[in-house]
Amino acid sequence: MKILAWIVGLVVVVGFYIISVYNKLIGLIEAVNNNKKQIDIQLDRRFKVFESLIEVVKKYMDYEKTTLKEVVALRNQAQSAHAQGDEAARMQAENGISKIATGINLVFEQYPDLKANQNVLQLQEEIVNTENKLTFAKQALNDSIELYNATKKSFFESMIVGLFASKLDMNFDYWGLSSEQEIKEKENYTVKL
Amino acid sequence: MGSTKFTAGSVNWRGVLEENSRRTKWVMLTFLAIYVSLGCIVDMLMVMNQYPQLTVEQAFQLLTHFEIFPYASVSMFAVAAIAIFITIKFNDKIMLMGTDSKEITPETASSLQEKQLYNVIEEMKVAAGMRFMPKVYIIEANYMNAFASGFSDQSAMVAITRGLMSKLNRQELQAVMAHELSHIRHQDMKLTMMVAILSNLMLMIVDALFYNLMFGGERSSDNGRGNPLIPIIILLRYVLPMTTVLLMLYLSRTREYMADSGAVELMRENESLASALIKISQDHEANQDSYASEYGQTKHEEFRSAAYIFDPKAFDPAKSIMNVFSTHPSLEDRLKAMGCKLHTK
Repeated sequence: MKILAWIVGLVVVVGFYIISVYNKLIGLIEAVNNNKKQIDIQLDRRFKVFESLIEVVKKYMDYEKTTLKEVVALRNQAQSAHAQGDEAARMQAENGISKIATGINLVFEQYPDLKANQNVLQLQEEIVNTENKLTFAKQALNDSIELYNATKKSFFESMIVGLFASKLDMNFDYWGLSSEQEIKEKENYTVKL
Repeated sequence: MGSTKFTAGSVNWRGVLEENSRRTKWVMLTFLAIYVSLGCIVDMLMVMNQYPQLTVEQAFQLLTHFEIFPYASVSMFAVAAIAIFITIKFNDKIMLMGTDSKEITPETASSLQEKQLYNVIEEMKVAAGMRFMPKVYIIEANYMNAFASGFSDQSAMVAITRGLMSKLNRQELQAVMAHELSHIRHQDMKLTMMVAILSNLMLMIVDALFYNLMFGGERSSDNGRGNPLIPIIILLRYVLPMTTVLLMLYLSRTREYMADSGAVELMRENESLASALIKISQDHEANQDSYASEYGQTKHEEFRSAAYIFDPKAFDPAKSIMNVFSTHPSLEDRLKAMGCKLHTK
């Protein structure tokens, strides 16, 4: 009788442990998914900032000649790639916009009227803000993947993941530079003045 | 101090976070142990009052085997739980008391600088993966300081003085805000409140027991052999206040280290926070007198002094240089824990 009670007790404890690990891993997976979406939100927001920037800048400089036109072109590329499900092409286009965004303050330096414009100053801050948010959103994504992977692979948890592999075993890719060549390129980059 | 420089190295912020959360656990366990033993003492006194023939050991046996229900311990826990619940619920109302402050939202930001402040906080919120945006307040004061309070979407807030906002660059401001958001995501406010309430309750109980012994003396002389618990109570009455204060201060310093490395975790670099801390410290040193009077004129400063990123009394000569008596670790220790080395010329 006493042994039976012990066994039932043990089963209940193990059952609760399995449930809690299951729920924790589901929570971690959803956090990763949410963080992925966060990146999309920031990309979308960045384009809206650029759109308003273009509106303001039009009055001061020849829009046809400016880099802002490239932004629109890249954005169109990114959107059509996204629609076709070609993530690599999309990321390339978005990264192109990032490159322009960092250089945009240098472009503005050449237009004194522009520099004095309060709206432009605000939009510059907005660009820095969205670029930072984008970077931090990627960082948050990587952090949540790290947490998920570490939990998934640790002992006991990994056994439970084995039991419910279809629900709990996900493979998320860390956000990084996509190719070896790209990494080399950035490593060897020097500023030419 | 003169000119202060520092070299930034690398830091294992995961390790610092782990070590300090382990320290927090020990402090909390110690508090709990003291509280439980106190409950036990009260129960034993009550039992021995009721059955004067019992010895201390017998009373202890009866209580721990639940042959007599430990009413005092259980009601002490109930009181603590209720007090903690109420304080946590209403705490965010008192933090801004006495200051001249206003809330900043993207719509109400009246200058580029205020917009930037809101932006850097939002950026750090994204980096921390927080689900809610804390309320942002600006305090109209010249001294450089900031604090955070709360832990949920309703209660979380960060407040920053105009002095801090105008004297730091964007990166440094971001680092300070990362420190504050780390206080929020580490739930430091909850912890501090809990410890403060527990220690206040403990001191009240010990005081009540002590005065009961001293002046309620009629009945205690009946069991004239003297209760062996009495010396313990007298000892507690003199040792406990100091012990709780030291524990609370130790906990506070621990949480500061954690917020610092939390900021490094979010920023993935330590230089901005290091240079911000140095700037704040130097600014306080340079304007010591004017700031002292400005802090002094602000009412209810005592609620905030432990929550600030920088201890306003860091240069107060009346305060001991000894680290055990301060809410914040010294600048040097903080930089060291962040992997930066301070050079003083």
